[in-house]
Amino acid sequence: MSLLEVTDLRVSFATRHGEVSALDGVSFRLDEGETLGIVGESGCGKSITALSIMGLIPQPPGRIVGGSIKFQGEELIGANSARMRRLRGGDISMIFQEPMTSLNPVFSVGDQIAEAILLHQDVSKADASGMAVEFLRTVGIPEAATRARAYPHELSGGMRQRVMIAMAMSCHPKLMIADEPTTALDVTVQAQIFDLMRKLQDEFGVGIIMITHDMGAIAELSDRVAVMYAGRVIEEGAADFILDNPLHPYTHGLISCIPALGAASGSAERLPPLAEIPGIVPPLHLLGEGCAFADRCARVHDACSVAPALKGRPHGVACHAVEAPT
Amino acid sequence: MSDTFADRTKAVSPFKEAWIVFLKNKPALFGLVLLSFIICFILYGMITQPDPFEIVWRPFSAPGEEGFFFGTDYLGRSILSGLLVGGAPALAVGLAAAALSVFIGISVGALAGYFGGRVDDILMRVAEFFQVLPALLFAMVLVTLFTPSLSTVSFAIGVVLWPQTARLTRAEYLRIRELEYVRAARAIGSRNGRIMLRVILPNALPPLIVSATLAVGIAILFESGLSFLGLGDPNVMSWGVMIGANRDYIFDAWWPVTIPGAAIFLTVFAVSLIGDGMNDAFNPKLRTR
Repeated sequence: MSLLEVTDLRVSFATRHGEVSALDGVSFRLDEGETLGIVGESGCGKSITALSIMGLIPQPPGRIVGGSIKFQGEELIGANSARMRRLRGGDISMIFQEPMTSLNPVFSVGDQIAEAILLHQDVSKADASGMAVEFLRTVGIPEAATRARAYPHELSGGMRQRVMIAMAMSCHPKLMIADEPTTALDVTVQAQIFDLMRKLQDEFGVGIIMITHDMGAIAELSDRVAVMYAGRVIEEGAADFILDNPLHPYTHGLISCIPALGAASGSAERLPPLAEIPGIVPPLHLLGEGCAFADRCARVHDACSVAPALKGRPHGVACHAVEAPT
Repeated sequence: MSDTFADRTKAVSPFKEAWIVFLKNKPALFGLVLLSFIICFILYGMITQPDPFEIVWRPFSAPGEEGFFFGTDYLGRSILSGLLVGGAPALAVGLAAAALSVFIGISVGALAGYFGGRVDDILMRVAEFFQVLPALLFAMVLVTLFTPSLSTVSFAIGVVLWPQTARLTRAEYLRIRELEYVRAARAIGSRNGRIMLRVILPNALPPLIVSATLAVGIAILFESGLSFLGLGDPNVMSWGVMIGANRDYIFDAWWPVTIPGAAIFLTVFAVSLIGDGMNDAFNPKLRTR
């Protein structure tokens, strides 16, 4: 049994353009101790997927239209709110994109971690504070006992993200969702955070869903990757494999957007110009019947007027122009 | 090496920091000192308990004459005694009414701002209903409905003043509930009540503290206004009562009206200076320099 199994998840939002589908049949699974990267441009449904798993889709305007989310075999869609609350921060935790704003400015960081512990574990306040300091030490914060009394504004971005991770890990979750955990951090700190996440994964065996638009982050941390576009998963498979052999034209485009440092190593020739994908993700209310990527795709042809399904396993791809590997 | 770091990270909570800024603000500090003097004066009156209703000398004796520091009023009662005794009800009613209005205001505003939608619509319509009524008139009606006493007067003023606090609280909740740390609190499994009280409220407090302080000043003015109109507790001497009783004779004797008036003015002035100082302390960006 896999840790998390999302099948045909459909979520829609009521907007002034009427009901718009934000997730249109998203499916993926995650095993224990595995890292799944979800990549895609802004607005393709990555964060909505994460919020659906947490049961935090604002309803209304959001609405889960169909599909299923099974966590350790337990159906989460339609689970009652008390159950979801126990899961959140307990078995499933989440870290956010902006470490600058995701900590409460009026409480010390130690208190905030202790609060998360007290919500889910039957321990005394003093014990929770002690555990908080212990977790700060685990995530590599020096002088943890002193820093536990610091307020968020006294810490740097990287430190704050470590605090967020400490808070997320404080109840030994089985699944951690990281929503662009390193986007707001500078590159050297990013590497440290990845190291930390990898270390914690080895130590505690937590399954990680990493949401990002950074292919580098995927290469760094993910075992498998799901590429999303306009509310659908359009390619899925082992991260190493997809990074080397992207099949879907969109994935291909995403990967060629990475500046290839030293690609022409040894030669004095100029590097090839940085590629880009023309156009933008279409507004969700303008999505038609066909493939959502068709307008931006170089390999578009007649068949693309019908949306392609995700075919193939373990490496799946949703495109009429390419053959799924067998 | 790392020990020096530890020494430098002296944790200062945002509220402590605001207090430090407040102490550097001279007008606010002046307000604090002034208010302390007034409170000491009132406390002295509570300890010595002179009878302000006792007729001690002939009427309209000017200040300083015959050993009466502030003179006497139209019945020959000592103004100083009235001043000493009459401050306590004004201040007590001011504080109680402000506390009541802040309590109702925060509760209503928090529910409306946090839940939004239908709850927000209903609560805000109720608040608007209270806001469109002329405040002093409405307070007068409330006081006359009950027997005038310190508690009914406080109640009436509190009920009249809460919508402002409610709107301010609602605005703060609307802003803060969308912030990332509220989402983060939800993501660790906090309940709605906990998020409202423990996560959002502390962050919404700065403007609310300022408004509560200013509400104390407004409530003192209301108390004086009601007493002036004769709607206070008839058995309690208060600054407003003194002005009201002596207002007909203002052209014969200025002091029975002016001196309690100045007392009210100084008290409200001191409270406003403090409120203003708090505003500056909590919003360092607003400080002009």
